[in-house]
Amino acid sequence: MITFQNVTKTYKGSTVALRDCSIEIDKGEFVFLVGPSGSGKTTFIRLLLREEMPTSGRIWEAGKEIGHLSKWRVPYLRRNIGCVFQDFRLLPNRTVFENVAFALEVIGRPKHVIASQVPQVLDLVGLTKKSGNLPGELSGGEQQRVAVARAFVNRPLILLADEPTGNLDPTTSLGIMRLLDRINRTGTTVVVATHDAGMVDQMRRRVVELDHGTKVRDQARGVYGLDSAVAAAGAGSPTGTMVETAPAPVPVSRAAARNGGASRTGDGLRRRNAGR
Amino acid sequence: MPVSAGYVTREATTNLWRNRLMTIAAVLTVAVSLALVGSALLLKQGATNATAQWQNGVNIRVWVNPNAPAAQYKAIGVQLSQNPLVKSCIPRSQAYDYNEARRTVAADEFNATTQSDYPSSYACVLANPSDATAVSQQFAGKPGIFGTPSSPTAQIRTMQSVIHILQWVFLSVAVVLLLSASVLILNTIRMAIFARRREVSVMKLVGATNWFIRLPFMVEGLIQGLLGSAVAVLVVLSLYWGIGLNTTKTVANQSNLIAQMSMGAWEVAATCILVALVGIVVGVAGSALAVRRFLDV
Repeated sequence: MITFQNVTKTYKGSTVALRDCSIEIDKGEFVFLVGPSGSGKTTFIRLLLREEMPTSGRIWEAGKEIGHLSKWRVPYLRRNIGCVFQDFRLLPNRTVFENVAFALEVIGRPKHVIASQVPQVLDLVGLTKKSGNLPGELSGGEQQRVAVARAFVNRPLILLADEPTGNLDPTTSLGIMRLLDRINRTGTTVVVATHDAGMVDQMRRRVVELDHGTKVRDQARGVYGLDSAVAAAGAGSPTGTMVETAPAPVPVSRAAARNGGASRTGDGLRRRNAGR
Repeated sequence: MPVSAGYVTREATTNLWRNRLMTIAAVLTVAVSLALVGSALLLKQGATNATAQWQNGVNIRVWVNPNAPAAQYKAIGVQLSQNPLVKSCIPRSQAYDYNEARRTVAADEFNATTQSDYPSSYACVLANPSDATAVSQQFAGKPGIFGTPSSPTAQIRTMQSVIHILQWVFLSVAVVLLLSASVLILNTIRMAIFARRREVSVMKLVGATNWFIRLPFMVEGLIQGLLGSAVAVLVVLSLYWGIGLNTTKTVANQSNLIAQMSMGAWEVAATCILVALVGIVVGVAGSALAVRRFLDV
């Protein structure tokens, strides 16, 4: 679904944001992108949205090499990608329903599609009752749910999230993560850039760690970083460096992540997705 | 991708209303500058009509009898070229004069004549334009000469020079104003986009095409340009009727300057259409330029 092949991205003033980065993400995967600020996570997301072009190397996304994509095709690429940000980016003068509907409206979807899709996705994120409210009347967590609904309403192949829980408290963050997990179960590839260590440790999904633009770790069912890895693996395996060391998977309860998964709506979405 | 007309007009009119003061400023600037352009064009056309037979510095026209034999016509030409007061002479055939009359004589009078009624002539440039009367007296009444050789009246001569200057003043002021109108429209649209930059960024994020984003703003510029040029067209029309440029040329009002400048309805219509077109282009181009920066990425 997503392939980075020796991608380097240099900004003006020779700041290297990504250095010779090769990553492969399959369809339906759930990947955490972790690393300190300035490690290249946001650049990674921006490259996927084609807001930036790689300085060198090649990127494939949804079956297309996006470096060779002509400018007018970019909007059509983005229709396959949903995106969620730390600052929600909702339109303050539109209601929850209108915010979600906006995403369909501006890509020219007919009214009856909007009328059926929007309530469905609002039900998925659990905001049916708030559909007439303005974003300002919602809590941060609810606003982020609206943002997720807007990103997902067009049933994208890929959902990108850049620090989706950066503005939220741990409990609310967990709710958002569950929601992303649920969306992932419908077959959508999910990439989450975050430095929310607790969340990464709890979810135990694939973790790609970046440091100063270089990929330093790619670990299935990983944890956030050295400290948490050590804590998770117990005192037994204190390796000096985390590079490419995969600590033994630790049986952390995934019940939290699983809870929402089998709901009626989730399955319904999966079927819809398959049908498309 | 289908962009619904309803969506575009709704967005455009909402934006115009939201920035109504800027809209009014832009519309007024377009109106003033286009009114000047239109008036300049109208006056220029009038001047061309009034001075149609005095172009290329011609100071005197010596008319030759329609039925004069060719030898006589030639002889007059020789006399003219040997005259020390005359610098150069261009022979003009009956056919040429007939065609010229089509422009300089009132339509009903012209229609009552045929080509053979028209004298052939010589259009002469004098060494010194003030000698026109002297040359005219020398040739009037000579064999083969038809009537009195005519020279532009003092009125027309003054008008020619005044209009020549006015035309440049009008046009340069109009160009400056048109530029400021474009900048104002550009600024209005930019403000409209700035007010909606969140929406534009969300639109780009979810994959709206550039045309979908651009179109409402371009329609907005179009409306501003159209409103401005509508006002300008009104000004041009009231100038046309106000100073009596629709007067029909007759023998009686030959010495009336305005009557000499008069023009047909289609000439005014052409001016109005040109004014409207410039307004549309300024509006659309200004807004397209304003949107461009926001559509990068």
